[in-house]
Amino acid sequence: MSNGLQRVDHSALRINQAAIIFLLLTAFVLDQPALAGLVCLVMLFGTALKRPGFSFLYTRLLKPAGWVSPDVLLDHPEPHRFAQGFGGVVLAGSYAALALGAASLGWALVWLVIALAALNLFVGFCAGCAVYYWLNRLRVPGFLQSPPEGTFPGMRPKTR
Amino acid sequence: MPVDTLLRLLLALLLLGAGLALYHLVTHWLLSRARGKASQLEAFRPGQPAILYFTTPDCAVCKAVQRPALRSLQTRLGERLQVIEVDAYEKPELARDWGVMSVPTTFILDAQGKPRHMNPGVTPADKLFEQLKKAGAAV
Repeated sequence: MSNGLQRVDHSALRINQAAIIFLLLTAFVLDQPALAGLVCLVMLFGTALKRPGFSFLYTRLLKPAGWVSPDVLLDHPEPHRFAQGFGGVVLAGSYAALALGAASLGWALVWLVIALAALNLFVGFCAGCAVYYWLNRLRVPGFLQSPPEGTFPGMRPKTR
Repeated sequence: MPVDTLLRLLLALLLLGAGLALYHLVTHWLLSRARGKASQLEAFRPGQPAILYFTTPDCAVCKAVQRPALRSLQTRLGERLQVIEVDAYEKPELARDWGVMSVPTTFILDAQGKPRHMNPGVTPADKLFEQLKKAGAAV
């Protein structure tokens, strides 16, 4: 088994993805770039604080109310943080594009983040994590973790 | 509702629909891929439909939800249904051959052993029952 595995609550990750999808869809439908910008900030702050940006919804509301149960798996938290940070940077790019009047590019980037978050939420494949593990394989400095044993890079691990 | 918002809502629904269609296409592709592997399933007895159930010993939701759902179906259908449980840890190659990416995953096999439906994630007993009916099970 890979070293450095920690107990990662995937319910918190899923709630984070669901919140990102919902808010970005709302931003698109209501044509509110500011809301996409807010999601971007939460994702980047979350990455800086080493937690899923919208995990407060899970830890403060959904988990105490018993609406969502913990789903703790042995996993590396770093690739998930990288994925969230990468999503935040893409959203920052989208916000800049929207602010500069390139609406098509801006909303296309928002949809890219929605698609990748949906892939993670519904299929269990974290594209950002796959990129992280790929960079680890290329021995890029700072990308220290390799996928948990028996897990396809980016897929949700099975070990509890 | 302003026209612009309505158009955006329609576009969002269209894109979400496209995503859903893509998901179904991928599931269909995995199912077609699994069809070539069905003959390798030793536990299958031809003549009866079956549910092929991939799980792992540490899958909590399998124990709490999926297995009871399968038990209730087995009770309901008795000898007319075979449930083949596969531990994905013990048989990783079989899980890979069938395109299993997460547990639980269930496949509905018709009486000839041909995979007819694939369900990644927890699937309620009622849905499995409907799929068995569509697969020609005598229910």
